[in-house]
Amino acid sequence: MTAIANPIGHPARVMADATVATAPLLEGRNLRKTYRLGRRNTVEALRGVDVRIEPGEVVAIMGPSGSGKSTLMHILGLLHAPDRADGAAGGSDGLRPELSFGGRDVVALSDGERTKIRAREMGFVFQDFNLVPTLTALENVLLACDYADRGGRAARSAALEALEMVGLSERAGHRPAELSGGEQQRVAIARALVNRPALVLADEPTGNLDSARTGEVLGLLQRLNREHGQTFVLVTHDQEVGEACDRVIRMRDGLVRDEER
Amino acid sequence: MRMLRNLSRRRLRTALTILGITIGIWALVVFGSMANRINDMVGKGSVYFQSGAISVWGGGGDTPKMNPLDLALEDRIKAIPDVDVVVPGVSMYLSDDNASMSMGLPPMITAQPAGLTTGRDTLILRAAAGRLLAASDEGSNVVVLGCDLARQYSKQVGDTITLRGEEFTVVGVLAQTQTQPDNSAMIPFAAEQRLYLTTLPSLVKANLTASNVVTGFQVYPKPGTSPDTITAQIKALSPELGTMTGADFDKLAGSYAAMLNSVLVGIGLISLAVGGLSVVNTMAMSIAERTREIGIKRAIGAGRIRIVREIVAESALIGCIGGTIGLALGALLVTLANEAGRSSGTILFELTAGTAISSVIFSTVLGAIAGFVPALHAARLDPVAALRYE
Ligand SMILES: Nc1ncnc2c1ncn2[C@@H]1O[C@H](COP(=O)(O)OP(=O)(O)OP(=O)(O)O)[C@@H](O)[C@H]1O
Ligand SMILES: [Mg+2]
Repeated sequence: MTAIANPIGHPARVMADATVATAPLLEGRNLRKTYRLGRRNTVEALRGVDVRIEPGEVVAIMGPSGSGKSTLMHILGLLHAPDRADGAAGGSDGLRPELSFGGRDVVALSDGERTKIRAREMGFVFQDFNLVPTLTALENVLLACDYADRGGRAARSAALEALEMVGLSERAGHRPAELSGGEQQRVAIARALVNRPALVLADEPTGNLDSARTGEVLGLLQRLNREHGQTFVLVTHDQEVGEACDRVIRMRDGLVRDEER
Repeated sequence: MRMLRNLSRRRLRTALTILGITIGIWALVVFGSMANRINDMVGKGSVYFQSGAISVWGGGGDTPKMNPLDLALEDRIKAIPDVDVVVPGVSMYLSDDNASMSMGLPPMITAQPAGLTTGRDTLILRAAAGRLLAASDEGSNVVVLGCDLARQYSKQVGDTITLRGEEFTVVGVLAQTQTQPDNSAMIPFAAEQRLYLTTLPSLVKANLTASNVVTGFQVYPKPGTSPDTITAQIKALSPELGTMTGADFDKLAGSYAAMLNSVLVGIGLISLAVGGLSVVNTMAMSIAERTREIGIKRAIGAGRIRIVREIVAESALIGCIGGTIGLALGALLVTLANEAGRSSGTILFELTAGTAISSVIFSTVLGAIAGFVPALHAARLDPVAALRYE
């Protein structure tokens, strides 16, 4: 439990503890999200979702387009807050949403507090636009260190190490425009991992990659999971990616349809 | 470094924005230097009046005139109880045409009875070359030139110069005073009276004799007495007399200078406001272009304050670069114009360190302020929406 409260340093211990205590890393209940486009025109992207992610798991979220996968990931990644149950933004049956991360209630946190958690305890990989175009690969990775208040030599060597992990040491000084799509994606993964966060969230990390590159990225994630015990949540369309994960959460129309191991 | 890379993403746009600020600061520096120069002249004039002298002239009004007065008035003014010293003087324009068109201080020919020292002058004249006039010069055509006049006519000690149709030998050139004497030629009193008479219309001239004509008096009150009681008594001598004390001068010159200064600085500020708006526009555009990048930064943990800081620093940098270039160009123009003006005796600008430093600080702060609103907008973006932005 102590390790979960401070999961940056020793993710491996988080996993070891979890097998004993079975405290989830991330747990959400009654998660809803309704987008209002106009007075009448609303889209219920999430209609009451319960999820539970154990430390050290690699979980895929799959489902048809528009089923709410990204929306769920944004809520789990504290990028969006779930709708309140008071009906103001949709929740009609009045069930209060709950969301905890590492044992903390994160539903009502301020923007600043969420930002801090994202910076220190989470890593993000998005589908296509991941990197700051004016910065080199190394500087992009260093951004994440910077936001987690890590600086100096230690941050630099951690960033170089992260680039080495994804096999891009040679490319540290290159700008995104000088990198292939797969390489850019690997820089983003290096950035997501550099702070050794407890949770890495990835929205279609292989969506723009061919199957050879997809296998490469996937192998990398699995290796990191094995070696560092980090938890991964991957949103994907790709059956191959799904099969490589410990568990698949299948969504449809804003609801979880089923889960499979 | 990173900021420079951001700025160099859209080189033309950045350059145009910097140009906007540059023009604004350039205008501020140039007009500010002009205002400095005006303030300086007013300040030096004020020093002259610090001696407590009262200027007296004929023709009334609030500003000195060069109408003829009778030298006999000297004794009547001296008879006023608190008056200590009275110095008669004659002044005229160097020539008739530059009386109206000259900017700044007009070239003058002036004279006071030679060798008459009051011991009370606060503006001490020194000769940079040659000597000042002495009592023994009375009766000979010699002249001491102000430094600007000497430069304008390229005259040195020993040269001759024609003033109002008569030849004079230059016996001295004054050190710079930053005010009227720089643009004056000083000649013996009798010669001045003679030349002055030739400038008057013949009807007026007919009733005057050269040795009795003056254009004004400097009246020094006894120490410790208020000039105002004396001016009232002087005006009582004749309704034709006008007077000016140091306080009057400060009020008059101060109000002219203040008006001119506010016009000049106002022009500078308006151009700067335009430059500032172009920074707002540039930063807003550049942020719109970078929306997804800001989304990424926010998503991976950049706080709002940090986003604001980055953008404000970037636009402050634009302001600083523009300001520095503007200052450099302004300084160049001011220096060139002063060099060109020196030969014709009109120095219009004075660029002080204060003006220089504050203009760059000002443009930097302006840039920062201009970036602030777009920065706040960027910081408030929803990271997810920003990521999806096309
Ligand atoms: N910002 C938004 N405003 C309005 N509607 C939105 C917004 N974001 C998502 N939606 C809608 O919510 C629903 C769920 O969207 P979401 O992006 O979660 O789907 P997804 O499962 O990730 O789809 P895809 O596989 O295409 O990425 C969709 O119908 C979508 O149109
Ligand atoms: Mg999606």
